[in-house]
Amino acid sequence: MSEIKYQLPETKEIRSRFRNTIGKYIIKRNSKCVSCGKCAEICPFGVHIKPAGHASPFRPVEHKCIGFECKLTNHYCIEHCPEDALVLKENPLLDTMGDYRWPPEMLLGHFAMAETGKAPHVNLEYNLGNSGGGFDKMRFIKPDPGLAIDISDEKIDTSIELNKTGDKRPKKTISMPCYGGGMSYGSTALSVIVGRARAAKRLNSLTCTGEGGYPPEFLPYKEHVITQVATGLFGVREETIQNCPIMEFKYAQGAKPGLGGHLLGEKVTEAVAKMRETVVGSSLFSPFPFHSVYSVEDHKKHVDWMKEINHNVLCSIKVSTPTDVDMVAVGAYYAGAHIIHIDGSYGGTGAAPEIAKKNIAMPIEYAIPKVHKFLVEEDARDKVCLIASGGIRNALDVAKAIALGADGCVIGTADLVAVECVRCGNCESGRGCARGIATTDPELGQMIDEEYVEQRLVNMYMAWRKQWCDILRGYGLKSIRELRGRSDLLVHLDYLDEDERKKYQPAPSCKMVL
Amino acid sequence: MTNKVLDKIIKNILASRARLPHIKTPVNKCDEEGGCGVTGFMASIPIAGKHIYEPSVQMHNRGNGKGGGIAAVGLNAGDLGVPKDVLEDHYLLQVAYLDEESIPQVESTNINPMFDIYKSEKIPTIDDYSSIGLEVKPPDVWRYFVRVKPDVLEKFIRYNNFYDMDQRKAEDEFVFQNSNRLNQTYYASLGEKQAFVMSHARNVMILKVVGYAEQATQYYCLDDVRAHGWIAHQRYPTRGRLWHPGGAHPFSGMHEALVHNGDFANYHAVCEYLNQYNIYPQFLTDTETSVLLLDLYNRVFEYPLEYIIEALAPTTEYDFDCLSPEKQQVYRYIQSQHMTGSPDGPWFFIIARNDPYKDLLQLIGITDTAMLRPQVFALQEREDVQIGLVCSEKQAIDATLQSIAKEDKRFCPIADKYWNARGGSATDGGAFTFTVKDSKKGDGTKKLVTQNKFGQIVQTPENQTHFDIQADISTSFEGNQKTKELIKLFNANDLPALKQYCILKFCDLEFHDIKNLCTTIESCANRGDDKKAIAIDLLTHLNDKIFPTGNKKRSSVLQIIRESLGSIFKSSPKIKDNKNYVYAYIDRETSRDLRAPEGNEKILVVNARDFEPEGRDCDSRMTNKAYRLGWKRYICYGYKGQRFTGCGFGPGSDDVRFDVYDSSGDYIASGIDGMEIHIHGNAQDQLGQIMKNGKFVVHGDVGQTFMYGAKGGEVYILGNAAGRPLVNATGRPRVVINGTCLDYLAESFMAGDPLNGGGFIIVNGIAFDDNGKVVDLAMPYPGSNLFSLASGGAIYLRDPECKVVDEHLNGGVFAKVTNADWKLILPYLKENENLFGISIKNDLLTVDGQSLPFNKVYRKVMPIQSLALGTTKN
Repeated sequence: MSEIKYQLPETKEIRSRFRNTIGKYIIKRNSKCVSCGKCAEICPFGVHIKPAGHASPFRPVEHKCIGFECKLTNHYCIEHCPEDALVLKENPLLDTMGDYRWPPEMLLGHFAMAETGKAPHVNLEYNLGNSGGGFDKMRFIKPDPGLAIDISDEKIDTSIELNKTGDKRPKKTISMPCYGGGMSYGSTALSVIVGRARAAKRLNSLTCTGEGGYPPEFLPYKEHVITQVATGLFGVREETIQNCPIMEFKYAQGAKPGLGGHLLGEKVTEAVAKMRETVVGSSLFSPFPFHSVYSVEDHKKHVDWMKEINHNVLCSIKVSTPTDVDMVAVGAYYAGAHIIHIDGSYGGTGAAPEIAKKNIAMPIEYAIPKVHKFLVEEDARDKVCLIASGGIRNALDVAKAIALGADGCVIGTADLVAVECVRCGNCESGRGCARGIATTDPELGQMIDEEYVEQRLVNMYMAWRKQWCDILRGYGLKSIRELRGRSDLLVHLDYLDEDERKKYQPAPSCKMVL
Repeated sequence: MTNKVLDKIIKNILASRARLPHIKTPVNKCDEEGGCGVTGFMASIPIAGKHIYEPSVQMHNRGNGKGGGIAAVGLNAGDLGVPKDVLEDHYLLQVAYLDEESIPQVESTNINPMFDIYKSEKIPTIDDYSSIGLEVKPPDVWRYFVRVKPDVLEKFIRYNNFYDMDQRKAEDEFVFQNSNRLNQTYYASLGEKQAFVMSHARNVMILKVVGYAEQATQYYCLDDVRAHGWIAHQRYPTRGRLWHPGGAHPFSGMHEALVHNGDFANYHAVCEYLNQYNIYPQFLTDTETSVLLLDLYNRVFEYPLEYIIEALAPTTEYDFDCLSPEKQQVYRYIQSQHMTGSPDGPWFFIIARNDPYKDLLQLIGITDTAMLRPQVFALQEREDVQIGLVCSEKQAIDATLQSIAKEDKRFCPIADKYWNARGGSATDGGAFTFTVKDSKKGDGTKKLVTQNKFGQIVQTPENQTHFDIQADISTSFEGNQKTKELIKLFNANDLPALKQYCILKFCDLEFHDIKNLCTTIESCANRGDDKKAIAIDLLTHLNDKIFPTGNKKRSSVLQIIRESLGSIFKSSPKIKDNKNYVYAYIDRETSRDLRAPEGNEKILVVNARDFEPEGRDCDSRMTNKAYRLGWKRYICYGYKGQRFTGCGFGPGSDDVRFDVYDSSGDYIASGIDGMEIHIHGNAQDQLGQIMKNGKFVVHGDVGQTFMYGAKGGEVYILGNAAGRPLVNATGRPRVVINGTCLDYLAESFMAGDPLNGGGFIIVNGIAFDDNGKVVDLAMPYPGSNLFSLASGGAIYLRDPECKVVDEHLNGGVFAKVTNADWKLILPYLKENENLFGISIKNDLLTVDGQSLPFNKVYRKVMPIQSLALGTTKN
């Protein structure tokens, strides 16, 4: 087994930005409380805190409370309270949070991972959503216990290689089987995108500029920043391509195939307009196609151009998932791409139009095996890196995508959730983001700083890494690369008979208030 | 023939075809394929097949070696070993046998019982296919010269009730259906394909391979086979593993061969449309459906070519409004009937066909209405020979002409005229035809006529002659009064006087004397670096400037000038030896000698000829390296389509200058940030992408998507820009286009407020007549969608007669040009005058001999506050 050469970053607890966190449960302390401090004394999770010298305990830190499960322990505060001053309830707020793809428990689970760098200790379902399909219906089969190996996380390789073409361009190995998707300067607060770059540096991974120019704040992390060249060509200059180890042609997004990127007028502030050299307050629509690329030989020319601007750059081709995505992918490969990035239909923040987001592209779990198999048939699979994105929400989704045939994934929304996005879906409006994330408003943007974003992301990905290591160990695999294309390790609940299906965790189902 | 009879014939043909066996058309094409490179030419005399070699090789990067094909029309009977009348009357049936063992079977089912065979032979091939770089052995192709047996034909007519039809046309239909059956049995219905018909026309031959196009001519030994017209296609199928060329182009309906660059978005819809007429595709590529459409319109409906083109590429928007009411009525019928079969998406067809009923050969180029694929047409006409060319790239045209001119001195390596078609337009219809027919001189010679969709003739100036090396240079160099005068001016280092003298003399002198003068300039150039600089400046000026050439073709004058320039460049000291001279010569072979400039060295003269078009060994990479070593000035010549000149230098290249000569390639000046690039001649596609800063001058036309996403720079174009220039440009680009643009100029332009540091485009709408005089174009901007959805910047349009109307716009608004506007654009017009000699006072502000104030000549197009863009007040 190859020794792992990279250093994994340290996790560190980093608290929520908000005074009142959101928990699965709520604990109310009523007026009967005499501030005896008993609850703080017994709670091992730090829900109740009464620092020395304080007359009364702080408001309970609800998101750390494990709820009614605690009854079975000897530290159930409700029962230990001598004055019956504590009341425990399920948090009704959860009914209104999230959506079927990102149910509230998945959000809370990721808040917790980003806070601690560990799996949440509260009983939360953060691996499965409620969508009724896709990854939510897929399960890893129970491994044969005989396969399991006993090695530490440090000995397990989660890195992937992005340049497999064997051309003379540099190799690029990233320590995680995933990297950050494009979020432009303009779509998201500067501190968020720079924080993502800082995290990418620490994780030895990558982030992507999106289509909004290359703010100078990226320069210290440039080895970990992908420059996106999208159809609007906003802010793309030779030096932005010379800065980056990898450039990404964004032909289409799975969230809105047939549409270019768009940034509505409200978000085009003075700073954004300056970066993109456009008119303040005027909506920016990128054309759907590259006007210079209407066919595959144009595409090759386009790739060749990038390679002349930066003689070491690797080229990633991001396409959405039409029915002939396999042909598109193999065409991109023959034209000289190092990475084929297929973007399925589940992704997209609130800014993509609903009609496009929900109705056009092929779901990513169909597209991955289709492309994977076609590349295998073409004898090209080991010469190109296949990256999947579009609704890859958590560590298990990443693992499933890899087992279906991808080399790795691109993550967008989960990064935002790690910095406490609640998926309210108001991303397109300038002052719409209540959490100060998807905004260019100078005032709202102050709600968040780079260090916070950096550490939250490091924590979340390190928690994910633990999950991947667990899966790999169970199957006796030492490297995430060995998982690629192992669709034999997956089952789809809909295709199992009743008895067989019962062996797997059922798909969560609950009615939500949307 | 009455309409009733015609109707009956159509019905009978369609009914007859309904009885053909067929497969169900699948929803998807068998291969996704893209664009490809297409090239073709048609000449009044037969030309050898080897001349399709160079243009094909130079477009390798438009294909991937997984499919190439060629077609020849109007063949030379002797080269095929048959008498002329056999070639003209018989069907030239070519069957590709993928499986040798299927030959007897195919012959016994589909050939021998049907045809009287004049001659059958296996097309000769070279022995070893891998010796020319082919990876897959091409199929054995058998060629049969056949006529349908009289009794078979009689039965066919009787059975299908084709009595009203011309018997020869019925015979055509029999051949068509017979091939269809053959393909169905031995190709379409099988998993393991056995055989298919490559072509079956009269006097048309198609051959294709899994490889590059020119490998088809090499493998099948066609280098010396002569034909009036040749077309070639480099295919780019995305699937990698192909073992037979069934899907490669050209495809044939009946008497034509069609190659296609592009990709239909509505492939399935077109198939369904064809299915309605009982036509079922067998090879499942969009090229096959295109030729089936063409054949349906041509042979079944018997449409004239104009209507066929309209059915394929409908006239839309403002162009439709510009048609005459009669034409509108006809076109409306055509569109309502055939719109669903009209191919959607990017496409460009080159069709070579034989019309035995009218006794003519034709080369046709048709672009889609939106002009999404690149295309260039060219024409060369002299008394005794004429040639028309159409290609994906201009460099391929030049390569063809150079190749032919090398062998036949009647041809000039430079075309007399280059132009683009404007798709679906009322001006040229987006299509041109080169027709070869009898010259009516009674000596059997042929003549080439060029027409647009509407039948209007395109021609080069009459009464001008080409340079004829044998006749004009029979006497060697001689000094005379004129050369002495030239040397005197050289001795005085008087460049302006030299320019004036040459332009004046070049108009009146004979080729022989011009050659003498140019040779004199060459010898002066050898007298030292300062003289060389003057010589280069002088010849460059003569190359760029459109001046009257009297009774001589400009192309031939240019040929002499460029040869002299080339030999001056070539005579520069080689980089290995040089130290003390300003000019240092480098080429592919000596590129390893590249080093930092030393001593007096200032200008790197790059002979780009043998460099690769892209990648590790391209000239762009080499100049990049030279820049890092300290070279700032480059003269690059000898181009044959090499790409990316000036790319990759990064920001702050302010002191760099490129002078680019000959057939330069795509993407020049893309991303430049500070440097200056001058292109001395016509340029190709995708120039000045994301250009940030610097100066860019083109002494000619530019191709598609010029300055897409540009952010700045000062740009001057002598001629026209093709489709989609300056789309999505931001920042402060400042551009002068002296000609016009095809379509979509400055869509989504976002370049701020021009009066406050933003960008703008000046469109002058002028051209040069045959005497080099500035004349107004019929329309300063003929296309639609001018300044669509723009949110910033402005267009200054020279339109004294207000010919451009609101219908041309899509979101913009006309405004008066104010003093502030004029003050802003004047310096750019002055530089334009300086560069191209287009006078503000005498040319631009003089309309019909009358001098007008600027605000009566120029109009401004501004963005409007658009709801769609959600513009907010700030």
